[in-house]
Amino acid sequence: MPAVQETIDRVRKIDVDQYKYGFQTEIEMDKAPKGLSEDIIRLISEKKGEPDWMLEWRLGAYRRWLTLEEPTWARVHYPKIDFQDIHYYAAPKSTPGPKSLSEVDPELLKVYEKLGIPLKEQEILAGVQKPAVTDEDEIGDNVYKSGRVAVDAVFDSVSVVTTFKEELAKAGVIFCSISEAIREHPELVKKYLGSVVPTSDNFYATLNSAVFTDGSFVFVPKGVRCPMELSTYFRINEKNTGQFERTLIIAEEGAYVSYLEGCTAPQRDENQLHAAVVELIALDDAEIKYSTVQNWYPGDAEGKGGIYNFVTKRGDCRGDRSKISWTQVETGSAITWKYPSCILRGDDSSGEFYSIAVSNGYQQVDSGTKMIHLGKNTSSRIISKGIAAGFSQNTYRGQVSAHRKATNARNFTNCDSLLIGDQCGAHTVPYMEAKNATAKFEHEATTSKISEDQKFYVMQRGIPEEEAIALIVNGFVKDVIQQLPMEFAVEAQKLIGISLEGSVG
Amino acid sequence: MNMHAQPQRTLAETALIDAFGERLSLLPGDGAVMVKRDDAIEAIKHGLPTRRVESWHYTDLRRLLTSVPAFEAGAVTKALAPVLEGSAVLPVLNGLSQTKLPEIEGVTVQRVSEKLTDGSVAPGLDPYGSDDAIGALNTAFVADGYFVDIAEGAKLEKPVELQNLQAGGQSHVRLLARVGAGAKAIILERQTGEGEEALVSSVSQLVVDDGAEVTWLIVQEQPDTATHLAQFKAHIGKDAKLTLFVMNAGGRLVRQEVVVRTTGEGADFKLRGINLLAGDTHTDTTMVLDHAVPHTTSTEVMRNVVTGKAHGVFQGRINVHQYAQKTNAKMACNTLLLSDDGEFSTKPELEIFADDVVCGHGATVTEIDHNHLFYLMARGIDEKSARGLLVKAFVAEVIEELDDEALVEALEERLDGWFSTHG
Repeated sequence: MPAVQETIDRVRKIDVDQYKYGFQTEIEMDKAPKGLSEDIIRLISEKKGEPDWMLEWRLGAYRRWLTLEEPTWARVHYPKIDFQDIHYYAAPKSTPGPKSLSEVDPELLKVYEKLGIPLKEQEILAGVQKPAVTDEDEIGDNVYKSGRVAVDAVFDSVSVVTTFKEELAKAGVIFCSISEAIREHPELVKKYLGSVVPTSDNFYATLNSAVFTDGSFVFVPKGVRCPMELSTYFRINEKNTGQFERTLIIAEEGAYVSYLEGCTAPQRDENQLHAAVVELIALDDAEIKYSTVQNWYPGDAEGKGGIYNFVTKRGDCRGDRSKISWTQVETGSAITWKYPSCILRGDDSSGEFYSIAVSNGYQQVDSGTKMIHLGKNTSSRIISKGIAAGFSQNTYRGQVSAHRKATNARNFTNCDSLLIGDQCGAHTVPYMEAKNATAKFEHEATTSKISEDQKFYVMQRGIPEEEAIALIVNGFVKDVIQQLPMEFAVEAQKLIGISLEGSVG
Repeated sequence: MNMHAQPQRTLAETALIDAFGERLSLLPGDGAVMVKRDDAIEAIKHGLPTRRVESWHYTDLRRLLTSVPAFEAGAVTKALAPVLEGSAVLPVLNGLSQTKLPEIEGVTVQRVSEKLTDGSVAPGLDPYGSDDAIGALNTAFVADGYFVDIAEGAKLEKPVELQNLQAGGQSHVRLLARVGAGAKAIILERQTGEGEEALVSSVSQLVVDDGAEVTWLIVQEQPDTATHLAQFKAHIGKDAKLTLFVMNAGGRLVRQEVVVRTTGEGADFKLRGINLLAGDTHTDTTMVLDHAVPHTTSTEVMRNVVTGKAHGVFQGRINVHQYAQKTNAKMACNTLLLSDDGEFSTKPELEIFADDVVCGHGATVTEIDHNHLFYLMARGIDEKSARGLLVKAFVAEVIEELDDEALVEALEERLDGWFSTHG
């Protein structure tokens, strides 16, 4: 079925030449010289005031990285990256650890204002609203415009400010930049950092372990339900820099946290590298929701420039009955290489992955998930919608595996893709590996599996078949969307609405 | 075939390379064929594929092929009675075709050894990709087989049964067929044997001309001493129909590749497969289907039953080329995993470059539905029989679709045979 006009129009709205966040800001920067060596790593570690064990950890990763080769299995093509031609550290000069917002460079605050990210707690509390976006069909990431969200703002290599820290501290929640956590909470960092994504994990994760400069750290203690949404906003500004952020989220027994990540970058002709690592740890009965709105600069209409996004994200359901849920809306980046995964180690734990990936222009997306069932009665669900337009390539690559001891493992996977135009490609590469007879795996890539009974029920009430199907599937997706921060949910729903009609495999 | 430099040759790799040196003077072929053989053994010298080669991810041939038998071992002396009564039988015994060939109306049969000697098969000997280890192995060593040429418009009343029988040792066979425009035929490819350790490579190549209709059945019942590496390649012309039925019910290490391309508008391909896995067999079915022109259709249904310590694999890739608009392709792979030590891995891939197509795939892995079991047991059927019934029904469904009574009966008989020894 060809795509309907409405869908085509909506996708055009988020085409590469419509990028709204491409402005750049002149801010005096403190930069490390280009290139990567042990000296640079020592420099980063020193700038961050890190303890020795952290430096050793970085150097260990770097030595390991030197022995690794860049992976080539993904369906993405790009010229070889010169890892010596990148600045591995860049920080705004005027902010050597500002004590309060008033000490932050006003230029910097302007950037966030322009992006619609509220950093002034008083304003947020007083309900001061930024001018609303008038085009109601807009698909953007201005989730932050209203509501109470604690934000950690990361600018190039450093975290410039984290809001609502004190209020969160009252609830016992630690929310700060990872550099601060290394200094203030070394015992927690030491215990959990690298325990989900070890320094030897893969080429980009190892590189990140060696050179990561900032990122967020969240610790929610036993039994605490985090009182507000937490969020990190990443901005790459400086030329020729790579952003290597590291996020670590720990939810202790019975804790709950919802975390949202957003990102943008200026419009430049050169490609910039972004290699992040995110580690989530959920102990017994804990739940972590991690949502991403990825909107890095995708390159121009000719495919020039854009961010290379090589990200390793993994959640470890370490405790029994724990739950980790990944939601991603991917619209940016020239290249996306990203597989948020769940290791379902605890008995009765569950993992979820919901993804909408829209590619346009010359973007290349190779994304998906891994659900590794190790514990008993573990369950996972994967819903992936890929929309490819222009000259883009959009690949879903996912793995579901049940190990010998994963009795009653249960998985449901659904991945649909939609092509708009005949110059783009959509690909589905799912791997399913069952080593346990009680495992139940289902993978489907069409909407035809809707139960005839349900369809009959709706159609019997006078609703035409196509609408009936849309209604049923929307109802199914709604469960998910309703759990997201509201503004995000509205946008995600619009996107999901798009991909329903005319879906192919 | 393998992009990675291998540090050291395995015993099997060494044995194959040595065997090539020893056999070379005995292998038929003109200059062009011999050049292809040399190229093929060069590919093997680079190492058998490992799991790092994507298409061999679940079947690490380098690790799994632990030894290679000598060429001659036992000997099969006569052909078997055909699966379908009244079929014309063309037997390949111990890797060699027969001099005395049956007369079949509308069909010309030639020995592949002759076609190797005169070089007329040389163009078809190229492997289809750098990871085509089976093609390379077969090209290096192929000695014989049959070429079945079915005349334009011929409607064969009787099926043709190609038998590839071995009794240990090595055999490398090609089975070639061309079905002329508007012709109609049922061709059965039977792969079986007895005795000691065996290495069999068998490549079938089929061209279905415009408007022809072919049902090709592969019945593989090798003993558990055999490594069976097989390939089925086909081109389907305008408005032509090909139904391929594959039943794997034997062998120690089995890989059946299916490589099909639709070359004319209106072409239709159906794959129906049954994998019955027992013991510690490793059985891999890998399909690559190219929808290369507009308006072509395909459906694939695989049903797998895994018992014992068996490891089953299904990889299916549907490529829809940029100009292949209006393609309609559907693939399903359903697996019953019946033992705790069994394992099944599947990778149903879609590669789509055209926007006006309907493609879908579904894959499931599960055990027997407890509700079904309860239903039968509540009616006084003991658990073992109830399970047997359900498993048989699960696979028989695929056979029943074949729409030819004699065919369905004959195949169900083979199915019963397997269940009586492995049930």
